[in-house]
Amino acid sequence: MDLVRHLECFVAVAEESHFGRAAARLGMAQPPLSQRVQRLERELGVRLFERTSRQVRITEAGTLLLAEAREVLSRTESFHAAARRVRDGETGLLRAALPPDLSGETVAALLADFGGRHAGLELELHELSTAQQLDRLAAHDLDVGVVHHPCDVTGLELGPVLRRELGVLLPAGAVAAGLDEVPLPALSGRDLILFPRTAAPALYDELLTTCARGGFTPAAVRHGQGASFVRGLVLSSGAVALCPRDAAPAGQGYGETADVVWRPLTGGAPALRHSAAWPKGRGDAAVQAFAEAATHALRTAAGAVPDVPSRPLHLRPASEYWL
Amino acid sequence: MTDAVARIHAALADAGVTGWLHALDIDSGEQLDAGADQPVCTASVHKLCVLVALHEQAARGALDLAEQVECGPKERTAGPTGVAAMLDAARMSLRDLAYLMMAVSDNAAADLLLRRVGLDAVNATTARLGLTRTRAVHSFGEMLATVKADAGPEGARALADPRVVSRLRALDPERTNRSTPRDMTRLLGAVWRDEACTPEHGAAIRRIMGLQVWPHRLASGFPFDDVHVAGKTGSLPTLRNEVGVVEYPDGGRYAVAVFTRTAHTAATLPAADAVIGTAARIAVDALRARAFRSSR
Repeated sequence: MDLVRHLECFVAVAEESHFGRAAARLGMAQPPLSQRVQRLERELGVRLFERTSRQVRITEAGTLLLAEAREVLSRTESFHAAARRVRDGETGLLRAALPPDLSGETVAALLADFGGRHAGLELELHELSTAQQLDRLAAHDLDVGVVHHPCDVTGLELGPVLRRELGVLLPAGAVAAGLDEVPLPALSGRDLILFPRTAAPALYDELLTTCARGGFTPAAVRHGQGASFVRGLVLSSGAVALCPRDAAPAGQGYGETADVVWRPLTGGAPALRHSAAWPKGRGDAAVQAFAEAATHALRTAAGAVPDVPSRPLHLRPASEYWL
Repeated sequence: MTDAVARIHAALADAGVTGWLHALDIDSGEQLDAGADQPVCTASVHKLCVLVALHEQAARGALDLAEQVECGPKERTAGPTGVAAMLDAARMSLRDLAYLMMAVSDNAAADLLLRRVGLDAVNATTARLGLTRTRAVHSFGEMLATVKADAGPEGARALADPRVVSRLRALDPERTNRSTPRDMTRLLGAVWRDEACTPEHGAAIRRIMGLQVWPHRLASGFPFDDVHVAGKTGSLPTLRNEVGVVEYPDGGRYAVAVFTRTAHTAATLPAADAVIGTAARIAVDALRARAFRSSR
């Protein structure tokens, strides 16, 4: 008996609670599906479903076995992904990418951790924006990456989403620079320096929306990206910029005695959100190891914390769905 | 035309969405394809298929559109509008339920109609009209139940988590009600040319589709008092769709189907709603310009 194929049938019927729908999902006819489930029940000596003329319901025994069945299928998928890597001549090579804004310490921590987990594997590491990573993941030119959210996650599996709280870079002479923490409304009237919108429209809009929600609507938005350019704008125009703590360490011009200072933001501060991402169904052991190393490095070296949606969500009637 | 397709993709990217569109000049058959054959989750857009199947059965005499339905307060499919949001027992005709299903995307009305018409009949109707890639695999209540199950104990709030969204079965066209932009414009073309039903029932479908209340998507792209827009939206976390027909006073009629996924998981994203209208407008303008050139 092809155990994996039979378990797929078991899981599909359990999830759909309906032989017809499960058959449609598996792209097969209903009679062979019923036969497979019966054969599995005979083979295991366990009744998996109660069938009545109108419906099919999973038994208690079936429920006990469902989690194990899913585990077998997931391990099978991982096995196939590994086999594909071998077949495609990529044995021992993992193609991975990181976004450009991670600190050197974070990248170093990730590489050290990954090396410890997978000493024999060669890592081909690229520095790529989220948009570039999404293109390459979809084309299977990349095995795993670390992406910024928001991004379109269609066809991807994700590791845990982590957030790096953003603070503010402001001129040392500004009144708000005298505070240990800066409430967002204290920035009112200032210009905000942000990366050009075309680079990541959804993230750009999220940052502005979050600032506005917290009470800071910039007088104007100026576009800048490179550290020294941003610093120049802050110094010369009194504009402020958003920056995670790990990207603005003391001693690189942003320390206590410098002319530009970094302060944490309070009152619903915006954040950068990241997670590892890989194409659905291709999460083999090497991909998992990289994803875990990235998650670990972001937490330890970049001060990232799990992103737990905590704000109330008021769905409006035009949302069309309701839970 | 390639210029129009590029402008559509640029508009979608600018609004932070990925999208697929097909536009069809209902009378000339001219088309604009910006991902027309992409398999997409229909969500509430599938209510259009229920509506057509209902009228097909009425045309065959299998049911009477004035037939009264008891809408008990229990076991109603959940939703924020229409019967789904009401508290007490109600009684109304099949065609009034159809009106609520289309005007405010009433999930309870849709499932009451689906119970009467049958899922198989809906699929038989779309198959008969040649929509080979369109299929309903579950009711709207069952679809929402998968969202609830996949969201877990945190409920709607968990849908802000991209990782939760990436796992929703309701966002996987292989595991939920599905179609393609091209299949949907084919359906709309058949309805508007009276090929889907008798002219009498076609007119009833078109009347109901013109009563949809939402102004924020397809209709927002056509801010002209003399242009008529009829449509049906579909929405789920990160998913925003609308299919409809835009009619100009010079007789031009265009079926447009737009299906999108937002990068952001937020529920309130006005720009993502509006770009459906923007993209449709670019497509319709391109079809009209082509017709104008070929008439000279």
